[in-house]
Parts: sequence; C-alpha cells; structure tokens
Amino acid sequence: MKGIRGISQLSRHFHVAARTRQSLAHPLAGLKLSPGAAHSLKDIHVTRLPSGLVIASLENYSPASKIGVFVKAGCRYETPENQGVTHILRLASSLTTKGASSFKICRGVEAVGGSLSVTSSRENMVYTVDCLRDDFDTVMEYLINVTTAPEFRAWEVSDLTPRVKRDKAQAAHSAQIGVIEALHEAAYKNALTNSLYCPNHMVGNITSGHLHQFVQNNFTSARMALVGLGVDHEVLTQVGEQFLNIRSGAGTTGAAAQYRGGEVRMPGLGSLVHSAVVSESAVVGSDEALTFSVLQHILGAGLHVKRGSCTSSKLVQGVTKATADPFDVSAFNANYSDSGLFGVYTISQPAATGDVIKAALAEVKAVADGNVTAADLTRAKAQLKSQVLMSLETSEGLLDAMGSQALAEGSYSSTDEVSTNIDNVSLTDVANAAKKFVTGKKTMASSGNLKNTPFVDEV
Amino acid sequence: MASRAPVATGRLLIGFRKWYYNLAGFNKLGLMRDDTLYEDSDVAEALRRIPENQYNDRVFRMKRALDLSMKQQILPKEQWTKFEEDVQYLSPYLKEVIQERKEKEEWMKN
Repeated sequence: MKGIRGISQLSRHFHVAARTRQSLAHPLAGLKLSPGAAHSLKDIHVTRLPSGLVIASLENYSPASKIGVFVKAGCRYETPENQGVTHILRLASSLTTKGASSFKICRGVEAVGGSLSVTSSRENMVYTVDCLRDDFDTVMEYLINVTTAPEFRAWEVSDLTPRVKRDKAQAAHSAQIGVIEALHEAAYKNALTNSLYCPNHMVGNITSGHLHQFVQNNFTSARMALVGLGVDHEVLTQVGEQFLNIRSGAGTTGAAAQYRGGEVRMPGLGSLVHSAVVSESAVVGSDEALTFSVLQHILGAGLHVKRGSCTSSKLVQGVTKATADPFDVSAFNANYSDSGLFGVYTISQPAATGDVIKAALAEVKAVADGNVTAADLTRAKAQLKSQVLMSLETSEGLLDAMGSQALAEGSYSSTDEVSTNIDNVSLTDVANAAKKFVTGKKTMASSGNLKNTPFVDEV
Repeated sequence: MASRAPVATGRLLIGFRKWYYNLAGFNKLGLMRDDTLYEDSDVAEALRRIPENQYNDRVFRMKRALDLSMKQQILPKEQWTKFEEDVQYLSPYLKEVIQERKEKEEWMKN
C-alpha cells in the first residue's frame, strides 16, 4: 500500500518539476524537428512560383481563415477606352462564373458562414474570403472561380449599372473622397489620374467585352499574389500552382505615372471648405517614403486622443494662431509604385480658408528650415511605429500588409526591420523631405464655398 | 424505353416532323417556332437576355404576322419559313433560365 501511494506521489513530483523548469513556449532544446514542423512556427512564409505567382501565408492557428487574391489591376491600369472598368469589376465579383452561377456563389458562401468581398485601390484589386478553417476548400473553389473564370454575361453586367450609380451617389456625399479623387486627377497626366469611380460618361457603357479584355490583360500569374491567414502554406501553394496558373506572362505593362501639378476647384454650398495642397513625394517602399511618413507624423497626422486638442501636431498648433473658427488640418501622404504625393489637407470655414492654408504651409516651411527638435523626431517615430504595428493587429490589416508587400516586392519585411528603418531616419532627412515639398510643383484641389480659397499659384 | 420508341431526333422521324411543322401552319405567317411560345416568366427572362438583333428580328416577324392575321392573309409560298431554316434561337437561353430557377428552388427546399 505504502509503495503504491509512493509511486503516484512520484509522478506528481516529476510533473511539478517539469512545469517550473521548462517553458512551454519554446521548443525543447536538442529536439530534431521534422521538416513539416518548420511551417508550424508562427512565421510568415513567402514563396514565389516559377509562373511569377507569389504565395504568402501565416499559420496563426485562428479558428477563422482569411484568404486574399491580390492582383495588380487597380484603376491606374485603365485605358482611356475603358475608364471605369475597375469600378464595374469591383461590383462584378458575385456574377456567374464558369463553375458556379451567381446565385450559387452567394448562397454557397453564405451557407458556410463565409464572406466574399472585393476592394480595389489605385494599384491593386483584392478579392478576400473569410471562412471557418474547415470550410477552406468550399470557399476557395468560389474564390478561384471568381478570379480566374468569370463569364461577365451581358445582362448581368448591365444589371450592375444602378449599383454603379448608387456607389457614385454615396461617394458624392463625402467631401474627402471628392477632394482626393480630384487631387489625383489634377496631379497626374495618366495612370494615377484615373478615378476609383466610373466617370459619368462611362456609366452604362462598360460592356462585357471591356471586362473580359481587362481581365485578360491584367489578371496574369506574374501580377497576382495569393495570401492566407490561418492556412497551411503547403496547401495554399498547391492551390496556387493548380488553379491560379491559367494566364501566364506579365500582361500589359501600365504606363509610368507622369506628375504634372495642376488645380481642381469644385465650388459648392457646403459650410466647410476642404482643400488639399500636395507635391510629388516618394515611391512606396523606399527610404524616402519612410522619411515622408515620419515627416507626416511630425506635422500631425490625426488625433491620437479622442476629442483632444492635438498639442503634438505642428500643423494644428500653427493654424490655431491663424484662426479662431473650427478647423482641421493634417498632413497627407500617399505612396504608389512609381510616385507619391505629400502635403497638407485642411478643413476650414469659407472665410478663413486662405489664412488656414497659408499657416499650414508656413509650418511645413518651418520644418524645411530646420525647426524640428530631436524630441519631435522621437515622438514622430514612436507614433509612426505604433501606427504601423497597430494596423497589423487586425486580420484585415495584416492580410493587406502581407498582400501589398508580396505583390510589390515578393517578400515580407518583418516589423523589426521596419522599426529599425524608421529609427534610421535623421533630422536632416526630414528637413530635406520638407524642402522637397516646399520647392516642388504644387497640386491643389478644393471644394466648398471657395470665395476665400487661394489658387495654387498663390499659396 | 429508348430502344422501343424511336428518338424524336432520329433520321426516321425527320419526315414526320417536317409534315407536322407544315401542318401547324405558323410558318405560313413567317413565324418561327420560338416566336409562338407562350410568354410566361421564364420566356420573358430569356427574351431579356437574347442579343439585340435577334430580339429585333422577332419583333419584326410578330408584327408582320399580326398584320397578315388582321388582313386574313398568308405569305406567298416562297416566303414561308422552311423547316430547315427554323432556328430555335430562344431555346439555349430558355434552358439556362429554367435551370437557374430550378437551382433556386433546390436551395429553397433545404
């Protein structure tokens, strides 16, 4: 009896010893891992297939998976003959494909509790499916159908016209969208000048032929990336090899964006004037782009404390001295694959607009002249780092980051690399970036009651 | 079943089908078979989908037939629609529409 009791107490002693000595978060020392085990560590794996397709995945052991197909088929690749085709394509994700009817796609995805959505930017088009981990095969079938084998039946495409009109009407409600679309229209001669929304003269005139041609020319393997969260890398690679290899080649190369610097004024009856003044900045992924991002945070890139007074924003502090009326000002920063825009975005009362814009631009000039302290720089770097890291906290943000990087560079830079690069930005870099803005050819877009809004050659 | 009753598209029944087509008589008004289909919701949806030129031809044929019917006349024999010329232009679209409807009904059942 005593002996048996002793044995059970023995195992308890070993248990306690194991728990206190060995951390369960790290693999046991000296253990030889099997080849498959490497992929189970929480790493972002990126593979490039011979056809040019990039596969990126992260196994985060989440119960829900998220898979995205990223294609370099944003509105910058539209030609004058098919302006607006990407808007229709965005809405056409639920149309009949060779493998499934429109009804089946909708009901099939709903039946497994998943969702299929499309977003597009000026550079990329992203098809995303969310599903529970076990339903991966079902939703992937629909995703592959939608991205590689759409039929674009003439009557289904013409049925999309009311939805295009509704999208445009909704966008018209937002002054910011209006100003930013106008800003790009004024800033470039081609490619990036195209709007995300279908222009008025093309509503109802985009045909099935346009859609087919655009997909043929732009949805090629070399311009696509298949990204997954909560999926196994091997499985994803297999799917990519088997199904996304239909169209090889690089497709039509988009034209290089030519910056021209212009002005668009949109008079209106709004009680607020929205205005953006920008100049050409850096290409995405370059060191200069990072410098502009730091400069953006030095100048002020939005509230960090809700309903706060934005004391850390140089722009806000500068404009407060110029006007007592309500206003908002922040630095605008956009980077594309061959160009970028940097400047200030102001929202002000019609009577005070001139003063607000001049005060904001004076603040940027002050930075160009070297009026930035080391403390400002440290603060801005910390804000930029936290913005980058917090954007990766959501699965949408993480998928987007992985996909954009996989598409643009074919690899993924870890957050440590990004942090180090941010730390390497110096005061002179920031001053030079601000000088580039001050001396560069300006583009301006304004909307609202423009009685007191300066022209681009007056700022 | 198929071995006992000859398939309607078989070579043996062509003569019978031709005779029946001419007996039906709508070809004397210059109509095709698909022009005479009763316009229920499936046919209406299929009509929404056919290419514009086929739709315009259909409207022309029906207008001509209505005109002849009003005048209590028929077309001269050379202009009657021949059995070989009768194209079932609506059938592929109609089949598709019916298949889609059946798919919806299948999903509604469960």
